[in-house]
Amino acid sequence: MKSVVKRLAVDTERDVELINITDKVKEAVAESGVRNGIVYVTTMHTTSGITVNEGLPDVEADLLSLLERLAPEFGDYRHQRFLPSDGQMAVNSCSHQRSLLTGMQVAFPIEDGVTVLGARQTIYFAEFDGPLHREYVVHAFGD
Amino acid sequence: MAVIDFRTYPVQVKELYDHSPGLRAPVRDIFGFYCSSQPLLTLIRQLDAAGVDKAVLATLDCTTAHGAAIVPNDVLAHLVGQSDRLLGFASVDPNDTAAPAALDHAVGTLGLRGLNLDPALQRFRADDERAFPVYEKADALGIPVTFQMGLNWAPRARIADARPLDLEAVAATFPKLRIVVAHCGWPYTMEALALAVKYPNVFLDTAILFSGRPESSVAAVFAGQYGLDVVEASLRERIVFASDYPRVDPKRVARAVRMLGLRPLTEKMIFGENAESLLNRKPNQ
Repeated sequence: MKSVVKRLAVDTERDVELINITDKVKEAVAESGVRNGIVYVTTMHTTSGITVNEGLPDVEADLLSLLERLAPEFGDYRHQRFLPSDGQMAVNSCSHQRSLLTGMQVAFPIEDGVTVLGARQTIYFAEFDGPLHREYVVHAFGD
Repeated sequence: MAVIDFRTYPVQVKELYDHSPGLRAPVRDIFGFYCSSQPLLTLIRQLDAAGVDKAVLATLDCTTAHGAAIVPNDVLAHLVGQSDRLLGFASVDPNDTAAPAALDHAVGTLGLRGLNLDPALQRFRADDERAFPVYEKADALGIPVTFQMGLNWAPRARIADARPLDLEAVAATFPKLRIVVAHCGWPYTMEALALAVKYPNVFLDTAILFSGRPESSVAAVFAGQYGLDVVEASLRERIVFASDYPRVDPKRVARAVRMLGLRPLTEKMIFGENAESLLNRKPNQ
């Protein structure tokens, strides 16, 4: 049984965006040496997400629009105050909520050393409070 | 016209600590900033996200009060040299009689463009004449001086030690010296307003952060306390955009200013023209 964890980084460019990381995940799985098992893709942050959908710009725009409707920038939020433990203002409640709605992890089977993805499935790193230097983990687990 | 963020601190920039690992202690213990670092690229992209072209990186010299500068002027200058999007504001310790010479060096040799002071954290009174040689030097160099006023997040600073009215003697004694009252001095915002409407050399900045979102706190002062008619009539040449990053992201303060609904010309002046005027004053002008 192998357990191979690869830490990857992405420098996001916008406040909110979806970044296609499908090839990065496939490469990490191929490099891991795991032939049959499962791969977990996990964000290391609480204002970002990992999700899967169809890799079309209009779909991406509609998904972000949905999240902005469900968790609007302005709201009757408590998390909008100075945070002494950080030394900075914590005014990104909507970013946390969008992260919750999106989820922090996805998983796919590994079969014969290849990530098993549907033809229209794209894996995204979802930024909800950028631009920032972000990290996510690809964990290949199996034989 | 370039959009300018008139005050950020480089305390979250990874390259700062790559260059000077020892600065983590003063940033944490004196400045009171505890988040993990980010590459300089993040700051640049934060400026992009806010629609900002250039940013001032500032520091504070707290040597007498707390034993260290947040970032020494030469290190700040080195960091500023990493990007043409950055300008630097020096700090000197007004408790040190060598401060005017240090400022001369910071501007003349290191190429820094202004002076940043924080009476509450540096532990001096802005109206104490022992600090006046520093102002005299800044005046002679033609550089603007930003004073941190009012609420101060640094744990060792005392809010009551930074009242804008302490600057009246400075403004009156040095009528050509450009003075910026940071944060509009919140909660002493009316003192800051009084100075700005009386003295043509007193300016205010937009980094008004206490609680809630910047979109609400900025509006609470400019629209609520001052009134937008006062901003348009008396302050449009006297307000500069500043975010105080990384206390908060520039994108949020920029949005807060844009949401005020000021006249386009006023907004343009706040976002860049006033800052350019401050930065481009010639010595003795």
